[in-house]
Order: sequence, then C-alpha cells, then structure tokens
Amino acid sequence: MSFPETMLVFLVLAPGVIFGLLALLWLLGLVPPERFVSSITGLTFSASLLAFFVTLREVLKSGTVAVTFGNWFTVHDYHFPMVLMADRLSVAFLGMTVVLSGLIGRFSVTYLHREPGFFRFFLLLHLFAFGSLLAFAAGSFDLLAGGWEIVGITSVLLIAFFQLRASPVENALRVFAVYRACDIGLLVGVFSMHHWAGTASFADRLPFLSGSRASTVCLLMLLAAAGKGAQVPFSGWLPRAMEGPTPSSAIFYGAISIHAGAYLLLRLQPMLVQSGLASALVIAVGLVTAAYGTICGRASADAKTSLAFASLTQVGVVFAEIGLGLKWIAVVHILGHATVRTLQFLRAPSMLHDYHQMHSAIGGEGSRAPHLEDLLPQRIQLWLYRWALDRGHLDTILDRFVIHPLMRLSRLLAKLDRVGLRRSVDRPAAPVSEFRAPVQERAG
Amino acid sequence: MPWCAAILAALARKHLRVIGFLGALVSAIAAALLLLVAPASGSLKEALMLLYSCLTLGAMLALPRRDCTYGTISGILFLLGSTLLAYSTDDLRILLAAWIASAIPFFPEQWFGARNWRPRLALLLSSGLLAVAIMLIDWKQHTLSIEALTRQSPGGIPAFALLVAAVVFRKGICPAHAWIGDAAESGDLVPTALFLNGHFGAMLVARLIVPLFPDTARDLFPLLSYMALATALYIAVRALTENSPRRLLAYLALSQSACILAGLESRTVEGVTGALVHWYVVTASTMGLFAILRLLEVRFGENLTASNHLGLVAHAPRLAVFFIAFGLALVGLPGTLSFCSQDLLIHGTLVSHPLIGLLLPVATAMNAVTVFRLFIRLFLGRRRTGFTIMADALPRERWILTAGVLFVVLGGLFPNAFVARWAAQAESVEQSFNAPPAEPVISIGWVYGLRR
Repeated sequence: MSFPETMLVFLVLAPGVIFGLLALLWLLGLVPPERFVSSITGLTFSASLLAFFVTLREVLKSGTVAVTFGNWFTVHDYHFPMVLMADRLSVAFLGMTVVLSGLIGRFSVTYLHREPGFFRFFLLLHLFAFGSLLAFAAGSFDLLAGGWEIVGITSVLLIAFFQLRASPVENALRVFAVYRACDIGLLVGVFSMHHWAGTASFADRLPFLSGSRASTVCLLMLLAAAGKGAQVPFSGWLPRAMEGPTPSSAIFYGAISIHAGAYLLLRLQPMLVQSGLASALVIAVGLVTAAYGTICGRASADAKTSLAFASLTQVGVVFAEIGLGLKWIAVVHILGHATVRTLQFLRAPSMLHDYHQMHSAIGGEGSRAPHLEDLLPQRIQLWLYRWALDRGHLDTILDRFVIHPLMRLSRLLAKLDRVGLRRSVDRPAAPVSEFRAPVQERAG
Repeated sequence: MPWCAAILAALARKHLRVIGFLGALVSAIAAALLLLVAPASGSLKEALMLLYSCLTLGAMLALPRRDCTYGTISGILFLLGSTLLAYSTDDLRILLAAWIASAIPFFPEQWFGARNWRPRLALLLSSGLLAVAIMLIDWKQHTLSIEALTRQSPGGIPAFALLVAAVVFRKGICPAHAWIGDAAESGDLVPTALFLNGHFGAMLVARLIVPLFPDTARDLFPLLSYMALATALYIAVRALTENSPRRLLAYLALSQSACILAGLESRTVEGVTGALVHWYVVTASTMGLFAILRLLEVRFGENLTASNHLGLVAHAPRLAVFFIAFGLALVGLPGTLSFCSQDLLIHGTLVSHPLIGLLLPVATAMNAVTVFRLFIRLFLGRRRTGFTIMADALPRERWILTAGVLFVVLGGLFPNAFVARWAAQAESVEQSFNAPPAEPVISIGWVYGLRR
C-alpha cells in the first residue's frame, strides 16, 4: 500500500477508531474529562487534515487513489467489495467533511462546555465523521449505503441530544421514520444494480444500465437522495431537526448530511444521463424544493429554521443543476454553500445579541428593506403567508395520507389480534402517572 | 448434562445461578468442540447447539436475582436440554419428544405459562400436527431416521402439509401469530424469550422439510415464504401502535425472524446464507433486548409502557446504550452482523422472488421505527425525579451485555469467517432444492400430487 493510499485509509478510519475507543472506555465505566476529549478530537482532525492533503496531492497528480481490501464478505457469486476511493469528486467532499468536522469540534469545546451531554456529543461527532468519510470515500454503492446509514442514525441521535425533553426526541423519531422510509430506495436501488449489472462498484466505472432499468435505479436513488436532502415532499423533517444543538445543526443541515443526497446523484450521474425521465424528475424536485424553501423561509420566526430553509433552497438548486448535467457547477455550489451556511449556523446563537447591540447603537431598528414578495398582490401574499406558516402543509399531507391510515390499520390489526381474549389478560398500558415507583422511593 | 443440572437445581435449591451457569457452560463447550470437528458443509446442528448454549449461558448471567428461583433455573435448563436434543437428533421420534418436552414448561401457568389460552393451544396444535406427520411417515416408510428418509418425500403431500402447519403454529406465522405476543406479555420474560429463540419452526424447515421433501418444497414451499413475508409485514404494521414493551419486543422478534423462512426458501446460496446468519443475529439481539427489558422491569416496575416518555436514561444510561445497540443491530445497522445478513437475505430473495426482496426492506424499515420508538419512550423524553439512586447495569449484566454487543458488532466488522462457514452449509441446503428430483412423479406440483 503506497503512502497516499495509507493516508486515505487513515483519513477514513481515524474518527471511527476514536469513536470505538471512547465508546469502549465509557462502557467500562470511565468517562474521560472534557480536556482529554477536546485534545483527542483536535489531534484526530488535525492528523486527518494532513492525511487529506496527501490524498489531495495524489489525486491532483494521478486522478484517483483507490485501496482495495478484497471483499468484506463473499457468498457464492455475490461479494461485497471493500474499496476506498478518492477521485476528483469525492476528494472535494472528503476535504469539506474533515475541515468542517474539525471546526465544529473546536467550536463545540467552548459551546458545550460543562453541558451534561458533552462526551456524548463528541462521541457522535466522531461517528458522524466516520460515516460521512466512509460514504464519500466508498468505491461502491454498497459501502456508500453503509456510511449513509451511519450518518442517518447519528443525525437522529443528535436531534435527540436534549434527551430529557419530549419535543426533541419525538422529532428525532419523525426524522428517523422519514430517513428509514427513503433509505428503502437506496437499498433496493443497490440490490437492483447488483441484480441487473452484477455489481454496484463504481471504482473503475459506473455499471452500465440503460432504458427502464437505468430509470428504475435512478428513481429509487432519487427517493433516497430526496429523503436525506429534505427535498419536497420530504422537507417536513428539516425544521424538526433544528431541535439539536447548534453545532450539530451546522454540520448536518448546513453542510454535510444535507448534501449527501446530492453526492449520491453526482455519483449516479452517468446513469442519470441515460434516463430522461429521472433527469427531469430530479430537476423538478430541485426547483419545487427551491421555491418551497424560499417561501417557507420567509415566514420562519426563528433564526435556525430560517437558515434551514435557506439551506433547503440552495440544495434544491443543486439538485436542479445535477439534473441539468452541470456536475462541476453543482460541486462548487455545494462547497461554497456548505462553508457559508456552517458559518451562519454557528453565528446564529450570538446573532440576536449582535443585532440588539447594533440597534441600540444606531438608535432603533431602522427602515425595512423592500422584499421580493411585495411585488405580489395582497391576497396572494396572505395566502402564501398562511401556506408558508404551515410549511406548505407537507407534514399535514403526510400525516393525513400516509401516517394516519397506517396507524388506523395498525389499530385495526390490534383489535383483530385481541379477539377472543378477556380484557384482564393483557396488562393495561399504564399512563406515566401510574408508573409504579420503586420500593426504595416508597420506603424513603 | 443440562437435564442433570436441572434436576440438581430442583433438588439443591441453592447456588442456583452457579448450577445453571455451569450446566450451560458445559453444553457450550461440548457444542463448540463438536463444531470444531464437524465438516463446514454439515455443521448446522452443531452451530445451532452452540448458539443456544451460549444464549442460555448469557441468560443465566443476565437473569435478575428476583427471577433466580429453582423453578426458573431448572425450567431453563430443561428447555436447554430439550432444544439441544431436538437440534442434534437424527430420529423423528426423538425430535417429536424433544419438541413436546421443550413446550412442557409453557403449559402450566405456575411455571412459565402465559395466563391465556392461545399459547397453550398453538403449542398443542403444533405438537399434535408434528406427531400426526411423523406417524404418517412411519406408516408409509417404516423408518424414522432422517438420514434414511432424505429426498424420499415420505408420506407425500399430506405429511409435507402437516409439517408446514406445525411450522406455522410453532413459529407464529400469520394467521397463527397472536400467541407469540400473549406468551411474552403474560409469561416469564427471559424463559419465554429463550423458548421463542429456539426457532423450532425454522429448524424443522432446515433440517426436515427441505432435505426430506426437496421436490415438493420446490413447488409448494413458496406459499410458506409468502406467508412469512405477510407475517413480517403484518406484524411490523401491528407493532406501530403497540404500547406494551413486552409485546413490542415479541412482535419485533417475530417480524424479523419471519424473514428467515423466506431466506431458507429462496433457493439461492446468498438467500440461505443470509437466513442462517440472520438466525444468529435475531437470536442474539432479541435475547439482549428481552434481558434488558426484564432488568428494567425489576428496577422500575413491571408496568412499563411505550405510550409515554419514561426518561429512564438518567438512571440507567448503560442499559439505554445496550438497548439501542441491540435494537439497531436487529434492524440492520451498518457495522453489525445484521447488515450483512439482511444484505444477503434481500439480495437472495430478490433473485428468486422479487416481491419478497422488495417488501422485506419495507418490513425492516417499519421495525426500525418501532425499535427506535420503544427506545425513546422507555429511556428518553422526560426528566424523572423522586427516585433514589437506581443501579445501572451491574458488572455481571454489563459484561454479558457487552459480550452480546461485541458479537453483533465484531461479527459485522469481520463477517467473512462467519459467513463463509454458513455459505458452505447453505450450498448443501441449496443443492437439496436444486438437485434433480429423486422420484420424478412426486415433484410436479400440488395438483399432480393430489391426483397421485
């Protein structure tokens, strides 16, 4: 294994190893102090940055760095290839992940100082960095799916970071449900690729599919990309995800996780070109999301949600660029957007304070600048305002046409299951108020 | 050995955990030695014996002190002995005896029995159907050796149908699924979990139905696959609104393990390997989840519910981490062994039955949501006050749960050694399906079989 290849492996594995070590320490009953956690995080991401520069140099020189570990597992004709790869596309995303994860780590040392979940946050930050680096350095869609799922679960656990409040954890459940539903597209897409092309590896080149097969795979992948990228009609989860701490919102929904869907489509682009239907749908989804994001963002009352919708708008435009075949414009757009949006997210908590200081210095709030929506008739403005306040009714529609019918069906099945049983047989589901206190408490 | 230990526990009535632990440990060591000397392509029963012995060993360590009565320990050891006997025997009479013996502790309400009639009826029916099938085979073939009966289609379609019906009742395949929830809800939790994780239904398929009836199975078995898929989906939907943690875990175990049957029937090496690996993963993960739930019940009361947030993470953070680790390992988190098993399972079934390959991920996704819902409702969402200090996982519990998590995680990180062994086993199962028929007249199908 050459030096750049070793560095690529180090780049991907370093955060994963640190996560494993920290988790093991905790399971053994040791909680490392904040200073230790921050030092090891700083060291990891500094070393990863150096490894990235070595990888970047090699990619600029020879085009690709690929490391083949053989097969993760092999059964008969089927194998799961373990190929890490950095090419001109993935190296951009790898660099973005390392730099922004490191910055977020440094920022969070101060931001989360003495927070009860300090250790947990850093544990999940390392896991997230590992998941995203794995997804971006994967040489096959199988491995990409592995990293993708790790990013998803980390994202959900960080939304539920304030774990003893009901609202963040319920929102985390909602986000998890959307992720899982959309990830079906990724899984079935990868299996279809195996089924039709015999491989899901893109280390050499993307498997060739055309016609209806290419369309099917692209549409399945679009489902996954739309879910992860919060595109319409799955955009409802994004404002809910703002329940997490600001640094995690910045890295996930301003920078990396939100662009993972776009990366998937960029990887799939040679196949996307084969399918006019899929390309058109990618453009349509992107443009509709961009419009949706900008309208809803204008009616958002809090800074983070407003930034989330702004992020959504840009990702929508990126999707449209990918659908139009403007691959490198989309990559540059992603890099610029991720950097600016991360800064905005990180500034959000102190922004209000700054505004108040500024307003008191200039003696008032000043005049309101003209807005684009002022050009619309008053009635349409009002209608749009109501529509935007309910975030385009997307959650309502999803509830009414998917979740409620499913729940009704589930309750019906429960009724069927209980036919012939006496009521006393089952334990009644006790409300929490009736939650039996342990003996010690009653005695005490 | 387990039965001797069971008798010793019942007589001595002290040092129960030690007796139980040693009984299970000896079984595990013996099974491991057997596995070492068995050929890779014919080691299914040894591997299952090792799995079940280790599972019982873990249960002995994780069992709360409150449950360590002589009745429970001897019952678990009795169950271990019966299960090992069923896995290891090559004689249908002994298989039937072990099948019935394993169910005996679950009949009397005073032992592990549920407080309603459905589990008892299901077990009775499955045992009765198996007994009739074996009588029919004996009547037709005059031998009860599995080896001698291989590829003979003994008893024809009626025997095959009776065996499949026995699988349906014992495994809890829809529409005979309701007893699983009842058993978990109102029986003793850890012994019931052990009983369900014996997977006698899948064992009957892998060891009896496929080798004995390869031709009939090739034509008619897809019906059972589709029933298993329907069960996986039905139970996944059903679990979405269930609030009893015991029932929820039982449904998750059932829905996830129903996929095993679909994989066994896929007739592809990938699908069969996926099913066998999945068997291991589901067993280890669900046993871990059931054990954690029981530990929570002992600490916080038995009327836990998923209808509201209980916020137990503040008191039991390690149990919370173990719970989510096992839960996500059950539903295919990357980096765990179930990711490999589901990858193989879905790939294999997509090749042979595209509908199953497409719908299994849907069922798994719903199960993932259910696991996560149960986790957040039990552990998160509310700051509980008023408790005095509650013990998190005790060292004994922590070590055994860590071992379980390491098994599913290390198995996921380095799956090839594990998968390769099962692949060799799967190839022999797949060959049983795909070999040319021994008696061509039997293999045409349902209609032809009836005429014959």
